[in-house]
Amino acid sequence: MIPEIGHFTLLISLVFATLLGTVPLIGAQKNIAAFIHLAKPLVWGIFALLSISLFCLAWAFYFNDFSVYYVAMNSNSALPWYYRLSAVWGAHEGSLLLWVWILALWTLAVAIFSRRMDEVDVARVLSVMGIIAIGFLAFVIFTSNPFERTFPSFPVDGRDLNPLLQDIGLIIHPPMLYMGYVGFSVAFAFAIAALLAGKLDSTWARWSRPWTLAAWGFLTAGITLGSWWAYYELGWGGWWFWDPVENASFMPWLAGTALIHSLAVTEKRNAFKSWTVLLAISAFSLSLLGTFLVRSGILVSVHAFASDPTRGLFILIYLLIVIGGALTLYAVRASNVVSSHRYKLFSREVLLFVNNIFLVAALLVVLLGTLLPLVHKEIGLGSISIGAPFFDRIASYWVIPFAIVLSIAPLVRWKQDKLSRLKGSLAPAILITALISLTVYLTFNINSFIHLLGVCLAAWIFAMTAYELVISRQKTKLPLSHWGMTMAHWGFAALVIGVAVTQFASKEEDVRLMPGESVSLNEYNFKFIDVKQVTGPNYTAYKGSFLVTRGNSEYQLHAEKRYYKVQSNVMTEAGIDAGLWRDLYVSLGENLENGAWAVKVHVKPFVRWLWLGGILMVMGSALCIADKRYRRVLSASKGQI
Amino acid sequence: MKHLKLFIPVAAFLAASVFFYMGLFSDPTDVKNANLQRPMPEFSLPDLMQPEKTYHREDLLGEVTLINVWGTWCVTCRVELPYMTKLRQQGIKIVGVYYDNAAEAEFSGINLQQTQADVKQMLANLGNPFVFNIYDKDRDLSLDLGVTGAPESFLIDPEGQIIAHRRGAIDERVWQRDFAPLVAQYQGK
Amino acid sequence: MKYLILIMLSLVSLTLTAAEQNYPFDDVQKEQDFNQLLQELRCPKCQNQNIADSNALVAIDLKNKTYQLVQEGKSKKEVVDFMVQRYGNFVHYDPPINSLTIWLWLVPILFIVLLAGWIILNSRKPNIAAHSISEQDKQKAAALLAEIEAERKNK
Repeated sequence: MIPEIGHFTLLISLVFATLLGTVPLIGAQKNIAAFIHLAKPLVWGIFALLSISLFCLAWAFYFNDFSVYYVAMNSNSALPWYYRLSAVWGAHEGSLLLWVWILALWTLAVAIFSRRMDEVDVARVLSVMGIIAIGFLAFVIFTSNPFERTFPSFPVDGRDLNPLLQDIGLIIHPPMLYMGYVGFSVAFAFAIAALLAGKLDSTWARWSRPWTLAAWGFLTAGITLGSWWAYYELGWGGWWFWDPVENASFMPWLAGTALIHSLAVTEKRNAFKSWTVLLAISAFSLSLLGTFLVRSGILVSVHAFASDPTRGLFILIYLLIVIGGALTLYAVRASNVVSSHRYKLFSREVLLFVNNIFLVAALLVVLLGTLLPLVHKEIGLGSISIGAPFFDRIASYWVIPFAIVLSIAPLVRWKQDKLSRLKGSLAPAILITALISLTVYLTFNINSFIHLLGVCLAAWIFAMTAYELVISRQKTKLPLSHWGMTMAHWGFAALVIGVAVTQFASKEEDVRLMPGESVSLNEYNFKFIDVKQVTGPNYTAYKGSFLVTRGNSEYQLHAEKRYYKVQSNVMTEAGIDAGLWRDLYVSLGENLENGAWAVKVHVKPFVRWLWLGGILMVMGSALCIADKRYRRVLSASKGQI
Repeated sequence: MKHLKLFIPVAAFLAASVFFYMGLFSDPTDVKNANLQRPMPEFSLPDLMQPEKTYHREDLLGEVTLINVWGTWCVTCRVELPYMTKLRQQGIKIVGVYYDNAAEAEFSGINLQQTQADVKQMLANLGNPFVFNIYDKDRDLSLDLGVTGAPESFLIDPEGQIIAHRRGAIDERVWQRDFAPLVAQYQGK
Repeated sequence: MKYLILIMLSLVSLTLTAAEQNYPFDDVQKEQDFNQLLQELRCPKCQNQNIADSNALVAIDLKNKTYQLVQEGKSKKEVVDFMVQRYGNFVHYDPPINSLTIWLWLVPILFIVLLAGWIILNSRKPNIAAHSISEQDKQKAAALLAEIEAERKNK
C-alpha cells in the first residue's frame, strides 16, 4: 500500500510539473494575473508530493518491503538501518527520485526567498524549473520507476546494497553532489527567464549570485567527499582518477567557478552580460550532460550505473530539448545585448575575464578528453584512452597562468589600474613565498621542477591573498563576502600544494608480509602484528593489525578485507592514521600461502591538504552567502509581508 | 558575423549529440584486438599433454585454423566446448592454447599434472574440439596476441595471418556471423 | 658512487628486517619508471583502472611483463610501445597524437587566443560617450569652434 501511495504522488507531481511548466509562463507572456499567481502553489504542491514519494520509498527500505523490486535489489534485512535509508539513493531509480526531490527543494527555495522580486519574473523562473522537472519526472516514471512491485512472488530477502556504498562517505556524497548539480538549475532558470523576457540587466545577475554560490558550495563539498571516499575505500590510496564520472562532476564545477566570477562582474559593472548568460546555461547543461554520460553507459567508467540504451535515448532527447532549446534561445536573443561598460586592459574586469578564459579552457580540455574516445571509436579510428598522464600534464601547465591571475586580480581596481600600484605587495609576498617554498623544499627534498613550481605558486597565492586581506582591512571593515573570497582562494592554494607535495613525496611499497615481519618506508617502520577474523552485521572480515613506529611515536593501524556474503563481494578497508602533515596508509591484498599477506603500505605527505582545500572553498562560499547584502534582501522581503 | 558566433555553442552541442546517439548503440568496452590483419606471432611452446613435444608458428600453417585460448578454471570456456566440438566434426581445424589462471600462478603455483588431469576429464565430459593443445606456460603467447582473458579465439588463414577474433564464447550465432564466411572463402579455394 | 652504496646498504637492511618486495629493484630510476608505467597502462579487461590498481588476471600478467621489460633495461617508451603493439592504443592512458587527438590541444589553445584577443580589443575601445554625441552637441561644438576661429582672426 505505502509504495502505491509513493507511486501515486509521483504521478500527480508530473501533472503539477506540467502545469507549472506551462501556465505561469503563458501568464507571464500574456500578462494574465491568475496564471501568474498559480506558480507558487504549484511549487508547494510538487514539493509536498515528492516528499511523500521519497518518504514512501524510505519507508519500504526501512521496513524491508522486498515486494518492491528496487528494495529487493538494493537492500537486505541484515543491512544496518542507516544504510537501508541511504540505499534509497544507492542505485539508479532511487537516486533519480532524490534528484527530482532536490529539484523541487531548490524550486521551493526560490519561491520562498524571491518575494522581493517582481512577481512576473519569479513566475517565469519557477516555470522554467517546472519544465526541467517535467523531463526528469517523466524519466523516473516511464523508464525508472522505483516503486515497481515484484508480484506475484517476491524474494524472502534482498540482494543487498553494493558493499562499496555501505559507508558514511556514500551516505552524504550523492545528496551533496545532487544539491550542486541541481542547484545550477536556479541560475539556468534565471538566465532563461531573463532571455525570454528580454531583460538582461544586472538585476538577474544580482538574484542569481547567492543561488550560484550555494550550488557551487554543495558541488565542491560533493566532489571533495567523493575524492575522500575513493581514497580510503578503494584501497589504492588514490584520490582522483580522471574517470568519466569524475570528469562529469568536474565540468559543471569548472563552469560554475567561472560563473561565480563573471556574475560578480556583470552585477557590479554591468559587463560581459552575454558571456555570463552563456555560462549560466552551460553550468546546468553540463550537469545534465553528466547525468547522461553516467547513466547511459556510453563511456567506460569504474562507477558503473545500470546502463540501458532506452534510458540513454530518453535522456538524450531530453538534453536536445533543454540544452538545445536553451542554447538556441541564447543564440537568438543574446544578439540584442549590448554592454556599454568600458574598462582598460589592466583592470579587475579584464583579469576576471582572463580567469574565466582559463577556467573554460580547462573545461574544454576535460570535455574533449572525456568525449574524444567516443568520437575516436565511432569514426572508425579505434579505441583510445585519455587519462591521468594526459590530464596531469595539461593541469601542470594550466595552473601557472591561472595562479598568477588569481593572485593579483583581487588587488586590482575596477575599470582601470596601474601595474605600479602593486609594487608594495611584491616584497612581503616574495618573502613569504620564499619562506614557505624553502621549508617545503628542504623537508621533502623536492628536486622535480614542476612540483617545486606548484609549491611556489601555492605559497604565492597564499601570500598575495593574505597581503590583499591586510591592505583591505586597513581601509574599511570587510564584509563577510570578502572573507569568503579570501578563504576560497586559500582553499585553492591548499589544493595546489597538496597535489604537488603528495604527488612528489608519496612513497608506497608492495610487500609480502608474515605476521611479526616489518617493512620500513621513509622513517616509518610498519610492523605486521596479526590477522584476526571478525564478523560484522552483514559481512565477515580479516582484520590486519599494524604497529607503525617512528622514533618514539607509535601508531596502531587496522586494515580490513571484508567479504560480503549476499553479493559475494570482497571489499578492502584501508587502515589510515590521518594527519595534517602526512597520512600513514595500509591496505591488505591477497591472502598468500603460509599465513603471509600481500600488503600495500603508503606514506602520503600533505594528502589531507587536498580535502582541506575543498573544505576551505565550501566555507568560503558559505561566508559569501551569509553576507549582509543577501540577508538585507531577505529581511526586506519579510518586512513587506 | 557577430550574430553567427552566438550559434557556435548550439552547433557544437548538436554535433556532439550525433556522437552521443551513435554511442548509445555501441559498446565502449568492445575494444578491437590490435593483432587483427597481422601475422600470428612467433612462439616455441610445449604440448600440454606431452611437454617434451614443442610447437612453433609453422605448425599452425597450411589451412584455416581456429586458435582457442582457454583454461579448465574458466566457466565460459566450458560453455563453448560442445559447440566447438561440433565444429571440429564439420572439418574445422581447432588448436587450443592453454591459458593458466594468472592469480593462481602468481599466488599458489600451478601443478601441471593436476592441470593435465583436469583437462583430460573435462574434454572427456564436454567434447574435445582440439587437434592439439599448446601449453602457454608463462602466457607470453597470449600476451603477444593481446588476450585479455579466457576464452578468446583467433582465426588464422593458411599463411598465418589473423583474420578474425572473438572475445568470449563462440556459439552458432557468432560463428555464422563472424567466422563461417571467412572459412568458406578459404575452404572453397 | 657513495650514493649507490648507501642505497645498496639500505636495501640490504630492508631485506634483513624482513619483507619480501613483490617487485624488487636495485635501481631507483627503474623503480620509478616501473611505478609510473603501472599508473599509465590501462587494464584492458576492467571498467576503467590502471594495472597498478586492478586485480584482474590480465593486469597481473601485464604487471609482470612490465617488470620483466624494465628489469631488462627497456625505457618507458619502449615498454609502452611494446604494450600498444599488442593491446592497441587503448592500453595507454596518454593518447597518441593524430588528426583527431590534436584537437585536445588545439581547441583550448585557439579558445584562449581568440578570447584573449577579444578582451584586448574590447579594452582598447574608446569610451562610448565619445561616440554617441548628438547632432545638437555637434552643432554647438561647431559654433564654438567657429567663434574661436573668428576671435583669432580678429586679433
